[in-house]
This record gives sequence, structure tokens and C-alpha cells, in this order.
Amino acid sequence: MKILIADDSRVMRQIVVRTLRQAGFGDHELIEAADGKQAFEMTKSENPDLVLSDWNMPEMTGIEVLRQLRAAGNDVKFGFVTSESTPEMKDQADAAGALFFIVKPFSAERFDEVFAPILG
Amino acid sequence: MSVEVEVNENDLAEMVEQVWESYLDPEGISPLIPTYDENQPSEVHSSVSITGSWTGHIVYASSTSAARRAAAAFLAMEMDEVSEEDVSDVLGELANIVGGNVKAMLPPGALLSLPQVVLAPESTARFPNTQRISGVYGVWDGEPVSISMWQSRGDNKEGAE
Repeated sequence: MKILIADDSRVMRQIVVRTLRQAGFGDHELIEAADGKQAFEMTKSENPDLVLSDWNMPEMTGIEVLRQLRAAGNDVKFGFVTSESTPEMKDQADAAGALFFIVKPFSAERFDEVFAPILG
Repeated sequence: MSVEVEVNENDLAEMVEQVWESYLDPEGISPLIPTYDENQPSEVHSSVSITGSWTGHIVYASSTSAARRAAAAFLAMEMDEVSEEDVSDVLGELANIVGGNVKAMLPPGALLSLPQVVLAPESTARFPNTQRISGVYGVWDGEPVSISMWQSRGDNKEGAE
């Protein structure tokens, strides 16, 4: 499977990659986007099976990326990995069709719990 | 105008503990040991601003050595492999994570800024019309680290300086 990691923080992308490996998902193909617009474009051009997206990013926020993908008829599995989490954000994510909402700081156990059912 | 803050020192301490457990000390062998010294020195700092339902700043400050150590822990590198860019990025991420967690406890309508990183002591920062309302101060492997919250005063009208 191909997984797109979208976060404007290089450090956080590295941590997400490392945590995916620790949780046993290191064999999947991992690609990265450094802002929301890039995430949107790469989701269309690279056809990942899963997108893990930060919320607050330059160019487009994560929720804008998800909404625009859905508006364009793209049904990719999509969820958020973010340091910000409010009930309103979770509601917006749910309404837009997000599969999960992981809050930073996160652990490998949390990744396993969320991704095992998705990635098998 | 800011509301009364609903994030207290214990909340802040809990967030900081989670950051240590998840990233800085996953083995649980090198926790942040409280000093309760709000005037402890720092050499670098990072901050995020929150505006809206609460207005103020979250500041992460430490010695250069503790910042390098944090970068090494975050990036799974040795301390001597860590570049200045790594240190900056990790300091920014630390402020962002704590700031995001603080925001989650505030009433709806708060906006979080992108982080600012300054490779100079926290004492060089000046946040106009603010007062420190809470903080966690400690030593990590003998090196100073602090996380503090600065609230803008209620009479500080948005846009007015």
C-alpha cells in the first residue's frame, strides 16, 4: 500500500514515518507532502491508498484538502494526525469523511490501534 | 478579549509529561525533574500564539544542550549528528504540540499560529501586555527546560499597541 504523509513540519513527518515503522507498517510505500496544496496534488497524481494529514498547514489546511478531494470525487482513505483537537474539529473531520483523528503526541500503540484495521 | 484561562499548571504538566513519554523519554529513564524555578536560564526558545477565545503565548525554552538532546530524541539521531536546522524544527514542533494541546482545552474559537523559533534566551523575548500565568520548570538530564503560558491582558484590545 502507498501512504501519503502530509505535514508542514519536517520533524513531524519523520516522527510519523518512524512511528509507522515502530508500529510494524514500515513495509508500505511512504511518500510525503510539505503543505496542503502539495497533499491535494499528490493525492491526485500518486493515488495513495491512505492519507495521514496534519490539520494546520500552509496553502491549504488538512480539512480543505479532504473536502476538495471529496468534491472532486476522490474517495481515498483519509485521516488526521494533529496537535490540535477540539470537538468542532472532530465533527468537521467526521462530516467531511475522515476515518480517524490522532492527536499529537501519539504512540506506536495508538498507530497500531488505528491502522491495523485499515492496513491489515 | 480573553476569557479566564481554563488550563492550569497541572494540565500543563500533564501535557509536558505526555511529550516526554512519547518522544523525549519513551524508555522512562530521563524525566523532566521539576525545579519550580521560573527564573531558570535558557539559551533558546520557541513559541506559538493563540488568539480568539483566549489570547496569549505558549513558550518552550531550554539550554542549547537540552535542545540538541530533544532534536536527537525526536529524530532518532546522535546528539553530534544534529544540525542547527534540526534543533530549530524540533523546538518549533515542541511549542506547536504543547500549544495545540492547550488550544484543545480552550473554549471554541481559538486560533493557533505557526511556531516561531529564536536561537536566543527566552529573556530576549518581549510579549507586549502579557503576564505569565502558568509554567512547568525543570531540569532534563541536568539541563534547564521550561514551558510557560503568557496571557494577554483583558484590557489589551486586538490590534492596539
